[in-house]
Amino acid sequence: MLSKDESQSLQNILQIKNVSKVYYSNGGGDSVAAAYNEHVVLNNVNIDIKNGEFVTIVGPSGCGKSTLLNIVAGIDRTHSGEIAIYGQSTDSITTDVDRNRIMIFQEAALFPWLTVRENVEFGLKIANVSKDKRREIAIHYIEMVQLSDFADAYIHQLSGGMKQRVAIARALALNPKILLMDEPFAALDVRTRQLLQKQLLQIHQSTKKTVLFVTHNITEAVALGDRVILMSPYHENIKKEFRINLRHPRQLNHPIVDAITKEILQESKDFEHNEIGDKIAATATF
Amino acid sequence: MKLEIKLQPQPHFKKQVEKERRKIKRIDVDDIGHIILFLAALTGIWQLIFSLGIFPKISLPSPAMVAQSFAVLFANATLITSIGMTMWRLVISFSISIFLGVGVGLLMVRFRSFGKTMSSFAVGLQSFPSIAWVPFAILLIGLNDFGIFFVVIMSSIFSVMTSTYSGIGNIPTIYLRAAENMGANGLSLFRFVMIPAATPSLIVGIRQAWSFAWHALIGAEILIAASVGLGHILLVGREFQLMDQIIASMIIIFAIGFVVDRVVFNKLEDKVRSRWGLNQTKE
Repeated sequence: MLSKDESQSLQNILQIKNVSKVYYSNGGGDSVAAAYNEHVVLNNVNIDIKNGEFVTIVGPSGCGKSTLLNIVAGIDRTHSGEIAIYGQSTDSITTDVDRNRIMIFQEAALFPWLTVRENVEFGLKIANVSKDKRREIAIHYIEMVQLSDFADAYIHQLSGGMKQRVAIARALALNPKILLMDEPFAALDVRTRQLLQKQLLQIHQSTKKTVLFVTHNITEAVALGDRVILMSPYHENIKKEFRINLRHPRQLNHPIVDAITKEILQESKDFEHNEIGDKIAATATF
Repeated sequence: MKLEIKLQPQPHFKKQVEKERRKIKRIDVDDIGHIILFLAALTGIWQLIFSLGIFPKISLPSPAMVAQSFAVLFANATLITSIGMTMWRLVISFSISIFLGVGVGLLMVRFRSFGKTMSSFAVGLQSFPSIAWVPFAILLIGLNDFGIFFVVIMSSIFSVMTSTYSGIGNIPTIYLRAAENMGANGLSLFRFVMIPAATPSLIVGIRQAWSFAWHALIGAEILIAASVGLGHILLVGREFQLMDQIIASMIIIFAIGFVVDRVVFNKLEDKVRSRWGLNQTKE
């Protein structure tokens, strides 16, 4: 029999435990104490994410959401606390970068010297997967994001939305347990964004991947997430969590989405007295 | 945005690429026509000056006399062996230069403070006249091929070094982050990300280095008095007042430089730039 703790950690694919992050910048003072400015970005953040869950983190810029995602991805280091995957701390596997969590960046970060297919194959090539096998996998995921006609195109021949779809295919090709997405659709126009949101939900449905999705767009967060985590820039921590009880396949413009979006806006009222607040409010509606 | 919404096969796509390719080829043909016209005009002016008799024949032979000298040099195999010898020297010394230049460039990336110091130093040495290395090379190494190699390497290595350093140093961090996130590290990161990402900048540097190497090589062949080579023909021509030979050799030197730069490097750079998506001027 598993203990309660163990079964808990098996259910939770990803645990963010007491994670804090502090940046020090040189203040230019004479004494040692004055020479460093301490800037707290994350203060004791705790999030548990279940296998297959789609979690969105929303908050104004400066709330630490991207930093948190980078820490989960292993790109950034924590100041204290840890990230655990199936209960196992990622600190113990830092030397060999494990591919159980793959990041998708705002600017697709695709390699311009490779074709679409070669980009999707990249991680498999690093992992020494045989040529035939990786071609097969790549073609499968390129099909999934509906870019089969562009498999041999170079990246600069694609539009912004297509680039993000390639980035998604490239991440999926490695069969990660968790997809980490850092404002992946922020630079796209409204129609393209909606199309990609829809596609992402379909992909989430068919692959059952766990997704951790960071955005500053409240409507997007509510439309996509099973759970929305609102982060506050003042406490460097979670302000409130919202559960979105909408069944999949979802409609992006469901009335409940609107209602919860308004609720979150209300909740973030206390950010509103400064420009950060204005920004989050302005981006809530398309 | 149409492509986005439709998500249907795009037959125009391949056609468009084909069209663009054809356009490029046509421009090439036009260019060659212009070059031939230009050369014909140049030869005409030369013939005119010759016919006016401003200079004695020995100082300025006619185009026909130079052509004859060409034929002679070609017939007694002087030209072929000279070109062969010069190119051989170029290949050896330029390869060493690229190899060492890339190596030191990588060390500069690895050890940042060394890189900073070395790069400002290298920029200074880049503009150092290659011929000024010759006396140093003669006394240090001697009047032989190795002396010539030394001059060529010293003249071209710094361009390779700085382009490697800046090329790898300027790779967008996001490429490295994404690659590391997908499991690349150490050697695989270097081979599959850093080298290809730095290639456009490397090619620009190597092209510049080639031009420096070519200047240095001909200069060194004249001054270090190589026994065979295009520079040697110039040296002999000067000593025996064989202006027709000098001009013939100069034409060959020009032609090699032109072909390597226009054909080899231009094509290479163009190909790399368009593949890397750095030529975004079409349409």
